[in-house]
Amino acid sequence: MADFIAVAKTSEIPDPGSLLVEVDDRLVVLIHAAGHFYALDDVCTHDGGPLSDGPVDAAGGTIACPRHGAKFDVKTGAALTMPATQATTVHEVKVDGEQVFVKLNKA
Amino acid sequence: MISALAPAGFSPDTFDAFLAARDEPGWLSDLRRQAWSCFTKLGMPSARDEEWMRTDIRLLKLDNYALPTDAPVDVPAPQALLVEGVELGGHGETVDSYAAQGALAEKWASRGVLFGNLDRLVREHGELLRPYFERPIVDPQQDKFSAFNAACWSGGALLFVPRGVCVDQPLHWLARMTDGGIDLGRTLVILEEGAEATFLAETASTDPNGGGLHCGAVELLVGKNARLRYVHLQNWGHRVWHFAHQMAHVGEGGSLQWTVGALGSRLAKVNQHVALVGQDAEAQINGVMFTHGKQHLSYNTHQHHQAPYCRSDLLYKAALQDKSRTVWRGMIKVDQDAQRTDAYQRNDNLMLSTAARADSIPGLEIEADDVRCTHGSTSGRVDDQQLFYAMTRGYTRQEAVRMIVAGFFQQVFDRIAIQSVRDALGKAIGQRVRDIQE
Repeated sequence: MADFIAVAKTSEIPDPGSLLVEVDDRLVVLIHAAGHFYALDDVCTHDGGPLSDGPVDAAGGTIACPRHGAKFDVKTGAALTMPATQATTVHEVKVDGEQVFVKLNKA
Repeated sequence: MISALAPAGFSPDTFDAFLAARDEPGWLSDLRRQAWSCFTKLGMPSARDEEWMRTDIRLLKLDNYALPTDAPVDVPAPQALLVEGVELGGHGETVDSYAAQGALAEKWASRGVLFGNLDRLVREHGELLRPYFERPIVDPQQDKFSAFNAACWSGGALLFVPRGVCVDQPLHWLARMTDGGIDLGRTLVILEEGAEATFLAETASTDPNGGGLHCGAVELLVGKNARLRYVHLQNWGHRVWHFAHQMAHVGEGGSLQWTVGALGSRLAKVNQHVALVGQDAEAQINGVMFTHGKQHLSYNTHQHHQAPYCRSDLLYKAALQDKSRTVWRGMIKVDQDAQRTDAYQRNDNLMLSTAARADSIPGLEIEADDVRCTHGSTSGRVDDQQLFYAMTRGYTRQEAVRMIVAGFFQQVFDRIAIQSVRDALGKAIGQRVRDIQE
């Protein structure tokens, strides 16, 4: 579990839903969708706005930016719809019992 | 010098302790209390505010900082960048908002010029300065940070030049901050009718990678037919939060040349406002930004023409490296009475990395019908053909990039009349330029 940082309890995030967490001076949106947890930078690559207030679509595996509606794949961070064209950074997630851990992608 | 810090956070108790430790006129304490009341009522700006939607400060934790108290100890000084080869008429320093040292040449002091630490001078010349505090040009109610500075300013600088006095030697001010420290400096420059002066202000951290919080205010009052050259070089450490409200009023026939160099800080949010309040006033505003790493520099500029026959000319240039970001929002506002206005604003951005981002948002709001107001904005990357040409002439790729970046900034350097400022900015930028990142 080296480099994994405990960020939240599983019960803190409804399914589907998201939670904004601070990991090592970085804002990360933790997403709970269809029983799985994912972590993305809280940045929409379209205009730099936050993703964390956007709706999560568990069936489609996406989170949408609340400002202009750009959708991102929760597993890969890929931009799926306009106006975003570039992926947002995705981070590794592990769940151990009730605890959710995130390992930051330093790239 | 370093100052010890009171317990972290900003509570009524810490504010009361801060006020009690200061030996200030009662009217000033009352003004601080009013501003503190604003500070406690105003919420932190958020992405829902138009002005803040591109500047994310959710990671700022005010409770990690504390109001400064007067317990200085020695710390090493960073080298001042703006004074090389300059014969100064006076200089001063603060560390973490507390006065460290300062001096003004006798020939200026004897002519009534006041220059030095604002804390001390407001105690010694309270009645002279009182009107400027009672009618501040930076509105304490503008946002949480302006209220914070109005309530808790500490240290800072004053320059007062009486009527008709021309100070022909630059005056230099260095505000330093230790790692994790706080700087709540306030700068007040007052030039009475026909006065002239050059003020070189510089901010720097004792550790280039240091953190901290700066929440400052700058007020420049240029009287009738007065001339001020004001330079502000922001070179904080790369983990410093920098918030500032900077405002100038230029009176009839007055002239202001305002140069901003923005190199440091983790995140900067600056409101720079120039109001031309008297007929035939003139302002030239120059901005140089160079960002790298994950820096985020946001400048809101405002050229407010309130009187007829005034001229303003703004040029901001930014070069961005790595994953850094700049935001420039510029506004020219012309009041109904400000006929025959001549105003210009321009922002150029040079992208040295595909991961960098520059937002450039010029704007015009014109209520008069006989004006010339124009604006422009460009953003682009280094021309591959220019790079190739330079390399065919024997330059390495990095030398070529450095040369092109220097050329990019030359237009704004040419407008800066003070050689030491041109040299300092050119040298600091040259050291930071690496290569173009795909």
